[in-house]
Amino acid sequence: MMGRSARRFGRSGLGYVAIGLPLAMFALLAAFAPEFLSLQNIVNVNNQITALLIVALGQLLVALIGGIDISVGSVVSLTSVVIVSVNPALAVPAALALGVVVGLANGLGVSFGVHPLIMTLSSMTFLQGLALLWLAGSGGTVPAPLVFAAKTSAFGLPAAFYWCVAAIAAASVLLYFTRFGLRIFAIGGNAQSAGLSGVRAFWPSLACYVLCSLAGVVAGIYLTGRIVSGDPTMGAPFSLDSVTAIALGGVQLSGGVGSVAGAVLGTITLGLITNGMNLLGVSPFFSAALTGVLLLGAISLQRRKVIGI
Amino acid sequence: MPPASNDCEIEFRNISKRFGPIRALTDVSFVGRRGSVHAVTGENGAGKSTLIKILAGVHPPDAGEILRDGQPIRFQGPADARAKGVSTVFQELTLLPNLTVAENLFLGREPRRAGFIDRGEMRRRAREILGHVGVELDVDDMCGDLTISEQHLIEIAKGAAAPSRVIIYDEPSAALDAPGVEKLVRLIEEQKAAGKLVFYISHRLDEIFRLCDVTTVLKDGQHVATRPTRELTRESLVSLMVGRELGQLYPRRSARSGAPAISVNDLAINATAARVSFEIKRGEILGLAGLEGQGQREIVRGLVGLVPHAAGSVRKHDAAGETKIGEAIVASVRAGVGFVPEDRKSEGLYLPLSIEQNIGLGMLRSASMSSRARIDKTRVKTLMREMNVRARDEKQSVGSLSGGNQQKVMIGRWLAAGVDVLIVEEPTRGVDVGAKAEIYRLLREFADAGGAVVITSSELTEHIGLCDRILVVRDRAIVAEIDGAGATEEIVMRHALMSAPGQGAST
Repeated sequence: MMGRSARRFGRSGLGYVAIGLPLAMFALLAAFAPEFLSLQNIVNVNNQITALLIVALGQLLVALIGGIDISVGSVVSLTSVVIVSVNPALAVPAALALGVVVGLANGLGVSFGVHPLIMTLSSMTFLQGLALLWLAGSGGTVPAPLVFAAKTSAFGLPAAFYWCVAAIAAASVLLYFTRFGLRIFAIGGNAQSAGLSGVRAFWPSLACYVLCSLAGVVAGIYLTGRIVSGDPTMGAPFSLDSVTAIALGGVQLSGGVGSVAGAVLGTITLGLITNGMNLLGVSPFFSAALTGVLLLGAISLQRRKVIGI
Repeated sequence: MPPASNDCEIEFRNISKRFGPIRALTDVSFVGRRGSVHAVTGENGAGKSTLIKILAGVHPPDAGEILRDGQPIRFQGPADARAKGVSTVFQELTLLPNLTVAENLFLGREPRRAGFIDRGEMRRRAREILGHVGVELDVDDMCGDLTISEQHLIEIAKGAAAPSRVIIYDEPSAALDAPGVEKLVRLIEEQKAAGKLVFYISHRLDEIFRLCDVTTVLKDGQHVATRPTRELTRESLVSLMVGRELGQLYPRRSARSGAPAISVNDLAINATAARVSFEIKRGEILGLAGLEGQGQREIVRGLVGLVPHAAGSVRKHDAAGETKIGEAIVASVRAGVGFVPEDRKSEGLYLPLSIEQNIGLGMLRSASMSSRARIDKTRVKTLMREMNVRARDEKQSVGSLSGGNQQKVMIGRWLAAGVDVLIVEEPTRGVDVGAKAEIYRLLREFADAGGAVVITSSELTEHIGLCDRILVVRDRAIVAEIDGAGATEEIVMRHALMSAPGQGAST
């Protein structure tokens, strides 16, 4: 029984809850909120979850090696500030460089023994302060190409859709088709054993933190383009929402177990909660409270131990 | 004169290694030759594992060098050693539970095509390797779903899969079932025929005599002998390993045993286990022997109340009367029962604290919470002298002591507390031979002074050499009581292994 389902889902962390939750949510909303299935609303949901999805995929990488990155929301915010503050031609390279620097700082700190939560809490606080010092409120001019890239549509599908597909494809290729992907599963499973097989944790772990920060930068670029304005607190919710999303998707924060599909399903679940409550006219505060309950419930129903990790 | 120079694959030259204050290896030199199976043996703690970890690239040696084909060779890590043709099957499992069999076999050297992992190729080659070793498993199974024995076979397959000239097996048969051992033997013979050098680390005499061409014996981190196995007999090998007669290691048994100190009635460690009853008498050392994991540990831990038991009672008898113990460890300690856990570093000692504080803790047993914590320093010093604790002074931290001295401190705490019953798990695990004799003497003196001692041990010779009575535990039940003086390994093993017809696991 246990063994069979473990074999079916392997190290993906997926289970009936992670898969069933968004489906159930979808069915409920389709039944009770008439406008839920309208094309416009589906497009809305897609728009709403795109940035979170990109961040959650970054968070997934860090979670797979047993870390956590709560600075990623501040990276989103600071990216937004950078985009509207520097020379438009340099905006994107500057933002990407920022992501690399933050990721290296986080990754090196963790490698030298700082707990990931403390390390990224420090950079979260630091970067948020920096963003607010630089730009006290929302405003600024967003370079036109970025607005175009975030808001245009092609072949009848909105840009958000393509951003999602690109992010999912990139994460999937990285995790499932490269040595790097296999090795981060190995390191997350047991870094010492991986070391005895000749796989050292240092570089892959560092790369995971850098990639997570870069995911924050990409999400920040997308979001800034979409709202056509810089906002120094724009990313604040993403730090923890991304952790919620991957946890709902069955990713184990102790490392070694998780999947791109899980991160996507968890993000969709969160997006449907927000959208559904909105459609049903429920207070957003209530929806936050519900998310908390749902997270605890979903985690409790998931298999606590997957394949011995 | 054999052509020694051209079949010499690996030469250890004056290898030394220390871990903190412990000298794991001192000046070890010997040669391993191509196309041979080379046993490295010795008692627990003799330095076998350290030596092969140096060859496997896990630890660098402090001094000395390894030569291959006469050239000094240094490894930057396990991966480097493997790349240079030395592959190792470690004693502890190194498989990742969240990777498939195929992924585990190729982790660190995954086949690639156009930059991406070539999973088809990986599966195909993994099937080939498994077929070669004779393991019938799906290469897409997650390793975490396999049994321990299957996992060890995969571990062995992993060592065989790497293209290497030297293969090291560290206690490979410990977790294998009988068919697994046969597969291993076949594989090793094949590797030998292919001209490889196989190091076989084990202390199982049967396997050494069956498999190995040459045997190197280590003792206390030093090289004792390297000889062709056919020139050795069991007796001569054992005396090389032990370096002394059993009689010298163990103290004299006491002739008398007194009134019962503890009586255990119908104790069941869980709802389905058999009920066990036995007495521990003053003046005796009682051993709970058996194969590992048969319930010895649970019985002694249930007896002191460290883990809850399902049924039964434990009473301690004193001159003043009797006390019911075994419900909670604190009550047992208060009644005068000291418990020395097998993992003294995490369950017993306070490693950063001094010897004085670790021993002195025992004196605080009867003090009330609000009284000042006073440690009788002269008593601590006397105890350290009596127990022959080797340390700079009583302020030295326990973490920097050797295993044997740590164990003495652990026992010293209970002596300071004035207990009259000692329950000791694995009294000499991680203790070198010299200190072993001292710990045995310490336990014997404690019993001679009217105390009672219970030990569990995975080393059979310890039961036979030390104990006055041995209770054999199998499947959570006591299946035999043997007089220590008349016990032999064979008698104890027979009871530990075999169930009488008609009374299997259901008892």
